[in-house]
Amino acid sequence: MKRIFAIVVVLGTSVLGSHMLNDSKKRFFKELLKQVPYLIPRYFV
Amino acid sequence: MADYDVVVIGAGCGGLTVGALLAKQGRKVLIFEQSDRIGGCCSTFETDGYKFDLGASLIEDAGVINWAFERLGTTLWDEVKLTPCDPTYTVILKDGTKIRYPISSEKSAQEIGKISPEDGKQWFAYADYMQGFLDAALEGFFTAPANTLGDMVRMFAKTPKLLKYGALFFSSYQDVIKKYFKNEKIRESLSYQTLYGGLPPELCPGYIAMIPWSEHDGIYYSKGGMIGIPDALLRCGKKLGMEVRLNALVEKVLIRNKRAVGVALSDGTEITSDIVISDINAKKLYLEMIGEEHMPWLARIGVKSYEYSMATPMFYLGVDYKPPLEGHHTLATIPMDEMNGYWWNEYSKNHFPYEQFGIISWTSGSDPSLAPKDHHVIILTLALGPYRLSGTSWDKEKTILMEKIIDYMSKKYIPGLVDHVKVAILSTPLDFERSLLSPEGAIYALRQDVPHTTVFRPAAKSKSIQGLYLVGASTHPGGGVPTVIASGMIAADLIEKYE
Repeated sequence: MKRIFAIVVVLGTSVLGSHMLNDSKKRFFKELLKQVPYLIPRYFV
Repeated sequence: MADYDVVVIGAGCGGLTVGALLAKQGRKVLIFEQSDRIGGCCSTFETDGYKFDLGASLIEDAGVINWAFERLGTTLWDEVKLTPCDPTYTVILKDGTKIRYPISSEKSAQEIGKISPEDGKQWFAYADYMQGFLDAALEGFFTAPANTLGDMVRMFAKTPKLLKYGALFFSSYQDVIKKYFKNEKIRESLSYQTLYGGLPPELCPGYIAMIPWSEHDGIYYSKGGMIGIPDALLRCGKKLGMEVRLNALVEKVLIRNKRAVGVALSDGTEITSDIVISDINAKKLYLEMIGEEHMPWLARIGVKSYEYSMATPMFYLGVDYKPPLEGHHTLATIPMDEMNGYWWNEYSKNHFPYEQFGIISWTSGSDPSLAPKDHHVIILTLALGPYRLSGTSWDKEKTILMEKIIDYMSKKYIPGLVDHVKVAILSTPLDFERSLLSPEGAIYALRQDVPHTTVFRPAAKSKSIQGLYLVGASTHPGGGVPTVIASGMIAADLIEKYE
């Protein structure tokens, strides 16, 4: 139950947050998020 | 016993700085440079009596550069004849409005106030905030290593003030400018410096927005051209025994038991050394000159994931008249939204329109000796140029592009230009790759957004190969003359500590 609640809160915040951001901000964060999977590998270079 | 204590690949400002500093530590240093001149992007070449700066066209953050010279027992001011530039820059907006930014902060505020009194007052709030960040960054960021999380903790522990400016890393350049300035013309006039971070205003990290302010700390031009800086580093290094070999292309870094032990040149010669330092693009270094077989799997993924920084075509012009320009740097700008649009609709789609914006550097205005009598030198740092052009190639388009850009610049920014051009050389991203061996013509080596900075940028002390160190734009703190010189100081400190 707690997990479902946490997921709902995270999803809700993300949806609400993305509606509050303008297109420029969305693109800014999208570019950052796109690179998140590479942060750990880059740390080892 | 190795031939040298230290071999440096590349005689850019980073390579020369670390070479000279290590020679001062008493080490036997040899630098290999693949081209026939030193300096990398901070260099000067001569054609038909005109001297053109290859890339960098002024000196900012002279204090950082001076630190390197102080460590060498001298000063920047003693080694390089510097001409102060005032105004810092003049901006020509898309609609033709001119705004001057004198070195004096008060005078800049007055100039802004003529267009927007409210923004004129806001200039001081912006200046105060950015000066605070600049002080913190100079104290704790520029010359501190950022290899590990431990380094980052030490950086913030030494300079806790940096934490206050954390928001700058998670907001964009345009967020910061728009926060302080409301007038669209003023915003546009402060837009161009986003490209010093290599990204459009909506993607560029907010801390780059300190540049329009930091330039008010004083900007200078080196008499005889920007090669004055690397020349001075070379002179200092040579006095300490440092050697430099030009026209010597390093093809491979020699690796034995996960340790760099020297380099192999294109002519087959092998030179051994205890330490190898790279002043070339890190992605090229690891993937082509070392080989992924020498790297752990995570590092391989990391290296391949790096994106190259933007490229920018440079247009070198020798003219037989005094151009109607107001100072060393004129920024031809477009509104921030259009600059974002240029990134997505032109640059990202491999287009390069001739209606250009960019930096107009009138270098002979600061130093008349760069051109024959009554002649002048103008260098256009054009907008972002893609490495590949859609449906055609740079080599095919070059001649027609040159004619169209000269015509456009003449009509919009430099009246009379079209009738006075004596020498015109367009250096495309492809030319940059050919002459500087900079992959895809990337001027800052790798992108400079947050996921490519500090611990996420290739480490100054290699984590895969022992005895291998990195300097230059590829490593912390990134691209730009003062920053690559700072990278040389960081590497010299690390080598003193670990080797």
